[in-house]
Amino acid sequence: MSAVIQHYQSEFERAAPLLPWRDATGWQAWRQSAWSRFAEQGFPSTRHEEWKYTSVAALEKLSLSCAPATPVSLEWASLKDRVVLPEACGRLVFVDGVFQPTLSRVDGLPAGLRMGALSGRSTQDSLKLQGLLEQGQARTPFTALNAAFVAEGAWVAAEAGVRMEEPLLILYVVTEGQRAMHLANAYEAAEGSAFSVVEQYLGMTDEPYLVNGVTSATLGEGAKISHVKIQQEGARAYHIAALQAVQKRSSQFNSHSFALSGALGRNDIEAVLAEPEAAVSMKGLYRVSGRELQDFHTTIRHDSPDCTSDECFKGVLNESGRAVFNGKIRVAPDAQHTLSQQSNHNLLLSDQAEVDTKPQLEIFADDVKCSHGATVGQLDEEQWFYLRSRGLAADHARALLIEAFALDILTGIERPVLRDALESLLRRTAHV
Amino acid sequence: MLIIKDLHASVGDKPILKGINLEIKAGEVHAIMGPNGSGKSTLSNVLAGRENATVTSGSVLYQGKDLLALDVEERAREGVFLAFQYPVEIPGVGNVYLLKAALNAQRKHRGLPELDAMDFLALVKDKMKLMEMNETMLYRSVNEGFSGGEKKRNEILQMAVLEPRLAILDETDSGLDIDALKIVANGVNSLRAPDRSMILVTHYQRLLDYIKPDYVHVLAEGRIVRSGGPELAHELEKQGYAWIGDEPAGAGVKHGS
Ligand SMILES: Nc1ncnc2c1ncn2[C@@H]1O[C@H](COP(=O)(O)OP(=O)(O)OP(=O)(O)O)[C@@H](O)[C@H]1O
Ligand SMILES: [Mg+2]
Repeated sequence: MSAVIQHYQSEFERAAPLLPWRDATGWQAWRQSAWSRFAEQGFPSTRHEEWKYTSVAALEKLSLSCAPATPVSLEWASLKDRVVLPEACGRLVFVDGVFQPTLSRVDGLPAGLRMGALSGRSTQDSLKLQGLLEQGQARTPFTALNAAFVAEGAWVAAEAGVRMEEPLLILYVVTEGQRAMHLANAYEAAEGSAFSVVEQYLGMTDEPYLVNGVTSATLGEGAKISHVKIQQEGARAYHIAALQAVQKRSSQFNSHSFALSGALGRNDIEAVLAEPEAAVSMKGLYRVSGRELQDFHTTIRHDSPDCTSDECFKGVLNESGRAVFNGKIRVAPDAQHTLSQQSNHNLLLSDQAEVDTKPQLEIFADDVKCSHGATVGQLDEEQWFYLRSRGLAADHARALLIEAFALDILTGIERPVLRDALESLLRRTAHV
Repeated sequence: MLIIKDLHASVGDKPILKGINLEIKAGEVHAIMGPNGSGKSTLSNVLAGRENATVTSGSVLYQGKDLLALDVEERAREGVFLAFQYPVEIPGVGNVYLLKAALNAQRKHRGLPELDAMDFLALVKDKMKLMEMNETMLYRSVNEGFSGGEKKRNEILQMAVLEPRLAILDETDSGLDIDALKIVANGVNSLRAPDRSMILVTHYQRLLDYIKPDYVHVLAEGRIVRSGGPELAHELEKQGYAWIGDEPAGAGVKHGS
């Protein structure tokens, strides 16, 4: 057994008595089997095709603590200014992976829409969660590790027909390093229901840590979930996450990912269009500078006919930043009349920056419209000159063009308050 | 206002401007005509500070300053304005944002206070009326999806707002319908002033019917081969550029369109 596995093995033993639902045999067995899966594989190496450009060797070397932390106290006032939707009518706040009831509020929700912390669920309810989290599970060593250790997270559930326009906020703050936080989020929208949820990850320490998350979204017939995820992790943080949405007939899943900071980010996002006429919109923006790396591996599975997917990821790469985009579209043999669009555009602002972009189309149906395109380019010299020729300073003109490139990703965010909040966040955090 | 002396410029290794001499006094309007590819846009761009053509020799004095030593934005703030032959589209940058940023950059440079949102809007709307432009254009991205004629009008709108001292209009008339041409000409004429000079690059006499130039120059193969009064434009309209080729100064001039 390698020293790395040994460390996590002892963490697994140490954490077991502290994890939620520890007395339920259904959980013990589940965690044990997940642990075995992880122990067998270990962390992925760059020999692994899916991790070719993304090395987690440095993460492996950290002896991170995996047991749930003791709660720290944070004032809302100290967070508020950095929160994207401070006025959200429903919000759940977690600090260092621990739920903070006093910072959270769930009292303004309409009947039929509920949200809460996973640890607050009864053992019986929690076992149902396994089913949801399992969807995306066996896929990577990190999801296995997550299943072994998962201690906390958020859930949102809308009953049939309940529609909530105001976005809900789920805030994960990290104040202390040297830990691994294994989180899970479960979103369920029953038939004809709709809600919008924003996950914001805020790193407030420069020490290394790992956020390892698994998120599951299930959409009933005609349901709609709008999901926005914002990564503002600490300078030496690792953020690894898997998201899977499973969609029934005529449902709509809108996903926006913003990877704005952190030493290394890796997101595996999958949408399964399981029934006809489902639609997914998957958008993302990654910004890297220094020696940061952001990696998006996306998969859209057109398993049924008459489904639509619209995917667009954009990258702004500064200094020695690196990014990976791997976009897989799989169209099953009977998924006729599939409409699928994918694009990935990258703005390289330095000679040292690097992006590896790869579309992966596996189309087994014949009556489909699928398009994809990727670009890697610099700032447009002509546009830059135009702005300067009107008197704008060179830096100002440059910042404007970068902003215009990046902000374009906000189209499709329907709620003006959310769009405005994201816009000002993106402007505020731009490092030009 | 502007004194260009023996200006040479190349794109890559290819010499494009081969010794331009031109003097423009305050208040004067000079038309520059000439065949396609003769260097008119290159000259305009060099004056505005674009770096894709490299100045290899010669000098440009603007209001007594070495223009070529100034950055692009400094030239603009000092009152040089180029209305582009092909205005570029800039998705995501609002037209009104650019106008305001441009005006305030210039005001700041001149030591004037920035205009507040109200005063600024009032000013812009006023100028838009002059250009007979729809206000919705303000809230669109710079030139994005504008028709050819709308782009040209937008250039003149910017000029009207920025009130430059030296305006260079590179084929602002091409692509305009007759009504639009009148509107644009009207806008330009309203800006004529004793302390403002203009260079009109054009292929057509038509524009000069509306905006009377003081001088007309013919640029061919990177040199000014002929200068004269407004009557020169009429002659060109009738006879094309071939006849200039008979003169020694214009040896080797190609046919223009
Ligand atoms: N980037 C470039 N690379 C090579 N040649 C160039 C480049 N830019 C301009 N040129 C050449 O420089 C010459 C002058 O071009 P310019 O655009 O100045 O002509 P013009 O007089 O404005 O023509 P028109 O009347 O068609 O607008 C042309 O022969 C053109 O092909
Ligand atoms: Mg030209």
